Amino acid sequence: MDDSTKRILQRLIRRIPSQMLQTILGKWAHLSREDLHSLDFTQPKWVFTEHLLAHCEENGLTVKHITELEMIYIIENPNQGMWHGFQLLDAEEDAPSIELTQFKEQFKANLTELISHVSIKIKKHTDEAIWIRIAWGDNFTKPNHLKPTYVVHHLQTPYVFVTGLTSKHKPLLNQALVLATRYGSMKDAHLSGRNLTAIRDLLMRQYQQVFPTKHPKPLQEKNPVPRNPNIEKEQAENTENRLQMACEAFGDGTLPQLQKAVYKLETKFRDNSNKTLTGREEPFRGVVEFASTNLLESLRHCVSSGMASTPVTPLLSSITQKGRNYFVITDKGV
Amino acid sequence: MEGARKGVLGHLNMLEMEASNLKQQDLRQSSCEEELNATLQALLRKRDQLQVEIKANTSLQKMRSLLDRTGVPCERNEDVDDQEDGSDNSQLLLMMAKHTQLKDLLHAHHLIGGYDVLQTRKGKGVCVSLATAYEGVYLETYNLEIDLGSNLRICRHNIPPFIPLERLVTQGNMQTDIRDFLDTLSQYLNAYAGRKQQLHLTKEIHSSVQVAESNALCTILVLMFTVPGEKAGATLCTLQYADHTQCLPTRVNIQSEDTALASSPQWKKNQALLLETPLHTALVTMKKTGSIA
Repeated sequence: MDDSTKRILQRLIRRIPSQMLQTILGKWAHLSREDLHSLDFTQPKWVFTEHLLAHCEENGLTVKHITELEMIYIIENPNQGMWHGFQLLDAEEDAPSIELTQFKEQFKANLTELISHVSIKIKKHTDEAIWIRIAWGDNFTKPNHLKPTYVVHHLQTPYVFVTGLTSKHKPLLNQALVLATRYGSMKDAHLSGRNLTAIRDLLMRQYQQVFPTKHPKPLQEKNPVPRNPNIEKEQAENTENRLQMACEAFGDGTLPQLQKAVYKLETKFRDNSNKTLTGREEPFRGVVEFASTNLLESLRHCVSSGMASTPVTPLLSSITQKGRNYFVITDKGV
Repeated sequence: MEGARKGVLGHLNMLEMEASNLKQQDLRQSSCEEELNATLQALLRKRDQLQVEIKANTSLQKMRSLLDRTGVPCERNEDVDDQEDGSDNSQLLLMMAKHTQLKDLLHAHHLIGGYDVLQTRKGKGVCVSLATAYEGVYLETYNLEIDLGSNLRICRHNIPPFIPLERLVTQGNMQTDIRDFLDTLSQYLNAYAGRKQQLHLTKEIHSSVQVAESNALCTILVLMFTVPGEKAGATLCTLQYADHTQCLPTRVNIQSEDTALASSPQWKKNQALLLETPLHTALVTMKKTGSIA
């Protein structure tokens, strides 16, 4: 094994938390059982890495196998790094009937045509998602395995999720994906976050949405406060209404975990009491950013507790309805 | 003398008091009378109102039964006094009859597992709930919120992204014939739910059959069977559902290590069986005939 491969393995082992090492190496299945047993997982990592390197060299493992290990780790823990959502547009006639092998061949062929030195690995996960790992090189260098791009796509849906993509390689990936999935073009869905499951659930609407029904069930409280029969809630109906509106706008149950919502303002300044800024022709540029560990949960709580006025303003409900968290607001609307 | 005066004065007092009592009684009686009069008037008014309502309801029912029977609102030679009420009254009654008819139709549709429509936002929008069911079991319900403007527009929905909703909206006739649009959408959704349920039942009941490949829309399925006997080997069966509005496959392909297997008459029958019956029942039959373990 040459130096660069050793370095890749060292970096990878450093990245994987110690508790997961054993399971992930088990799933990798390139080490024999005796080898796996002989590894001592309680050693400090640098010692462990040396032993692992020795085993890998014994078994003649190459870069290809190490990248497989990395892919297994990332598939198990996708909620790291920054994921961006993209949407494919203008489906062609046969887009709904694309199947896996066809997609794989087309994608590999397209991308290698566009850029010759590239290493592609495609894997289908049990939940129907296709994971693609791409290490980019160019005409003179070998593919750089230290900065790979991961792409997740569900067949027959127009959504693609990408992490680790530089702007240099973006048009290449776009073209390869668009051709392989038989769509017309790909655009930015303006949705990004740390948590892949969250942005996937939001775009593919896999969270629990609430719609008006004929027989509305009372939305259950998570921790019901013990009721005192002598206390009657006067605002009970208002609270119910607010809770219903909050859930209709954002969803019920566990919400996808978004971290940020960014509103870029390009509207004219309107407050008449400020003489210096009013009356200017150019728009007043500003950026409003909401940040939280679980943004949708906090917004839903704001609405249901009355802090935000109801009906929910479309600026906030567009986050879930349009599946975006980056908006540009002009005088004509969002 | 004083005793006599007291007596007379006392008597006079008593008479005065009696007189004032009587006056009060009179007053009370007259106020009682007024109250009773007032209640009488109120009850009379209520009775008149109820009588008018009864009359309206009976004519509504008459019109409704006419509508149900013939689809024509009024009969040619019916009561002239109904027409006397004025043409706007009969127009109103016609509207009301159609409204109740539509509501009953929607309720019936909802009961048989079709879709249900609910008004939202004070009449500016409707929410359509499409129920899906397979083999008598209710599965998921999908919702669409439609904005009623000059053009119908879907503002919110929870339909999964692999159902071609945008294509149905742009290429279909949602603006002109919403019933047709909803029927087509319901077909797609029910077929998807049916295929998904078949796969789920197969996984649950037939644990000896392995699913090698499937996709989210459940249109491609690759199963691995184990054939009993000495020539036991893996047999791959590929089911393709090219018609997304159906629950049955359009193509069944059987491949086996034993090349003669696919062309044997038993397996030809199995192939036909898989094309015509739902997957989980077909597998039961195949197990009974001993084709698969």
